[in-house]
Amino acid sequence: MSMLVTCPTCGRRPSTEFSFGGELRDVASPDTASDFARVYLRENTAGSQEERWFHLLGCRRWVTLTRDTGTNRIEA
Amino acid sequence: MPVFRLDGRRIDILDGDTVAAAAYRAGVRTFSRSLKVHRRRGLYCGTGDCANCLVTVDGLPGERACVTAALDGMRVERETGWPSADRDALAINDSLHRLMPVGFYYKVFARPRWLWPIAERVIRRATGTGTLPLQAAAQRTPTRFVRADTLVIGGGVAGLAAAAIAAADGSVLLADEAGLGAAATDGPTRAAIARLTDEARAAGVEILERHAAIGIYEGPAAAVLGPEELVEVEAERVIVATGAIEAHGVFPGNDLPGVWLGRGAARMAALNGVPIGERAVVVANTHEGEQVAAALRTAGTDVTLVTGRVLEARGSRQVASVTVLTPEGRRAFACDALVLSLGWAPRDTLLRMTAEPEVVAAGDVVQPGCTLEEAEESGRAAARGEPVQRRDADPWPVAEHDGYVCVCEDVSMHDLEQAWDEGWTSSEILKRYTTATMGPCQGALCSRHLAEHATAKGAPPTARGRTTARPPVRAPRLGDLIGGVHEQVARRTALQDRHVAAGARIDHSGVWLRPGTYGDADAEIRAVRERVSVMDVSTLGKFLVAGRDARTLLDRVFPLDVGSIAPGRARYLLALDEAGYVMDDGLLAALGDGSYYLTSTSGGADRMEAWLRNWADRLSLHVHLIDQTAPLGAINVAGPHARDLLATLSDDDLSRAAIPYPGHADITVGGVPCRAIAVGFVGELSYELHHPRGRSVELWDALLGGGAAWGIRPHGLDALDVLRLEKGHVYLAQDTMPDDHPAKLGLGWAIGSNKDEFVGKRALERMDALPLERRLVGLRFDGAPQRGHPLAVDGAIVGRITSCAVSEAAGGPIGLGWLRAIDGIFPDRLRAGDVTATVSATPFYDPEGVRLRA
Repeated sequence: MSMLVTCPTCGRRPSTEFSFGGELRDVASPDTASDFARVYLRENTAGSQEERWFHLLGCRRWVTLTRDTGTNRIEA
Repeated sequence: MPVFRLDGRRIDILDGDTVAAAAYRAGVRTFSRSLKVHRRRGLYCGTGDCANCLVTVDGLPGERACVTAALDGMRVERETGWPSADRDALAINDSLHRLMPVGFYYKVFARPRWLWPIAERVIRRATGTGTLPLQAAAQRTPTRFVRADTLVIGGGVAGLAAAAIAAADGSVLLADEAGLGAAATDGPTRAAIARLTDEARAAGVEILERHAAIGIYEGPAAAVLGPEELVEVEAERVIVATGAIEAHGVFPGNDLPGVWLGRGAARMAALNGVPIGERAVVVANTHEGEQVAAALRTAGTDVTLVTGRVLEARGSRQVASVTVLTPEGRRAFACDALVLSLGWAPRDTLLRMTAEPEVVAAGDVVQPGCTLEEAEESGRAAARGEPVQRRDADPWPVAEHDGYVCVCEDVSMHDLEQAWDEGWTSSEILKRYTTATMGPCQGALCSRHLAEHATAKGAPPTARGRTTARPPVRAPRLGDLIGGVHEQVARRTALQDRHVAAGARIDHSGVWLRPGTYGDADAEIRAVRERVSVMDVSTLGKFLVAGRDARTLLDRVFPLDVGSIAPGRARYLLALDEAGYVMDDGLLAALGDGSYYLTSTSGGADRMEAWLRNWADRLSLHVHLIDQTAPLGAINVAGPHARDLLATLSDDDLSRAAIPYPGHADITVGGVPCRAIAVGFVGELSYELHHPRGRSVELWDALLGGGAAWGIRPHGLDALDVLRLEKGHVYLAQDTMPDDHPAKLGLGWAIGSNKDEFVGKRALERMDALPLERRLVGLRFDGAPQRGHPLAVDGAIVGRITSCAVSEAAGGPIGLGWLRAIDGIFPDRLRAGDVTATVSATPFYDPEGVRLRA
């Protein structure tokens, strides 16, 4: 896989410089019961989803972006 | 005159010769034997597209003779046939053809089962092409990364025209597999390429000759393979202008030596001056027939040009006669060469690899058979972003008779028919069953035939498409694949040279090189327990956490109560993930100005940093996280005389009042400014001295020099493994599993009890309601245990030893291990093979921690 990810600091860089941080999820759960779903259950969307990417081999900044999981196109 | 050797025979080389041209001039007609039935195969495409002329050049197998320049002194060997390609005993297979129908190896040797391994060995020896050189060290091809606005693949008329236009809007890289114009056989094409090359160069196009694009990937990105480098190109757009070759003709005898595709035959005649035969029949249904015939005549071949359909070619060693159905009727010709220009086969493999809208095409590859003017115009249009009209090649007549569809894999029309009758009724399934398109040419010749066959048989649209193309288009060498960035960087501390000079055994520990032992681990342990010792712990992850929200962040993400750490104090720290599982551990020191100094395990530093940055970002906190792992070194000074040693090198107050346990202070040791952290991983009085990396050697030498009075010696990882085990400290990952929450490890005390929120808190609440099924315990043994050994009760396995050692300080063999509860109760006596294990409280050594608080 190869594609370009836009880092706010470094501009468009190859995705191989980034590590994938998974779907964007809430940072906390309102109660213990709902926490299980937040931690373990994923949307696994076929289509656009918001994701976290970490510019590991670059400025070490986290980016939230929207990627189409079907085409690997990054929309924002 | 320069010469090379072909199977030992001297072959003269004329200027501009390829291996194939020189060999053909010298009379070589059979270049290989076919994979399965060992039929003779000669030069066919002449353009590097088929696999008939694969030879071994100077020990490297699979080189295409027709596009490899002949060089003086080369050793060339044909790869197939025994004893030689010319006389091949296994040619008997050809007459046994009917005994080896398509898919025969799935059927024939299935019963009895013992037969297959034997049959497989025989088949392996009889088939295949060149031999992989086992002794030669693989050459690593350097990898280069290039960003370009436009990548143009193919340096023909369309590609060059596209590149020249695209260069007005940004950087352009053009890769051409041969050399620019190297394949042009007629004057007008050569002139157009020369003119366009000048235009492209003037416009600033970077041209890579002898560079073949072997794959297109998402992005779009492309791998471009040159003679001495692999170029990975990230491009905003890709223009594919790879051209076309003539369609592969399927008829009985279509694979005989002497049967040629038109452009390849024209190249041989026009570029190398080698006549392909004395009497050639050119069967042309394209407009290039005249051109091909003219080229052949310049080399002295007598040419008959006809249109129509080839019914059959006959001959034994090579083609001798051909029957063609012409508009005037059936005609037979005696000839020694048959040249086909039946239609066009676009070189569209790269295009079929991707659906990216940024990948477009121009020239022959989308408008097969286009004129020079059309090619140039389509190149310009593609570069301007205008749609290039796709012109489908004329539908090919489906072969009515037998003939080889897939030349690489010996799959005939008959085989396709039979596979279809057996129920393999789609192009993709036909491919898998018959292995057509799966040979070295990767379907360059036959992929369309497969689709046409499925279409003619009435397969529905979903089952009659072209099969999916995947990289690589051209066979790369293993060295091309292993080159470049796949290097593991070994990190070393500033003291590496000192360790080596001291005779240390250097181990790989994660990304680091670290001393395992300096020769006598037992003596190193005794030095720590009885006197004083030093260890290079520069590999620890080291972070400065500062900024307005530093404390808020740390308090929110770590389970410990950060607010309760007074300035000058430090605290053991666990990091949990959101599932409540232990991710890492370390130490957190409060610096007093609202900032904190954090250490993590050596292997966990990168993850710790990414994790903290993620939380700071998600929580919108104003925090500066500075990774000091590299700029700072750290040396742990441990042992009952640790303070005595430091006192000789420092004027600072080293008492517990100044450096409490656990706590820290800034001191100067041997002139080197240090942050001394009083910690207790090895269970003795100890100070971790964190200092500027550039002064590590100075500090190390001072400590060893000053410690000589106490018989100091450094310790390595082997000693540390025992020392920490005696204290019952876990090694994350060695003693733990990915789903360990703190209670399973006996680390529940490290969780702040009155905190509202930290990462993993909800998960811990959830798991607290569940019974504890598994936990890590200390073990004592009555014999010598082995790490990893299962622990059993009455023969039932209930756990496993994760760490063990024979400990002088603990008075015998000790260890850590997993236990599962049996009916809710954890057993306390277990068997590990011949050894009995008893569950024991930890620490094994100095349980009250008197020594480390001294």
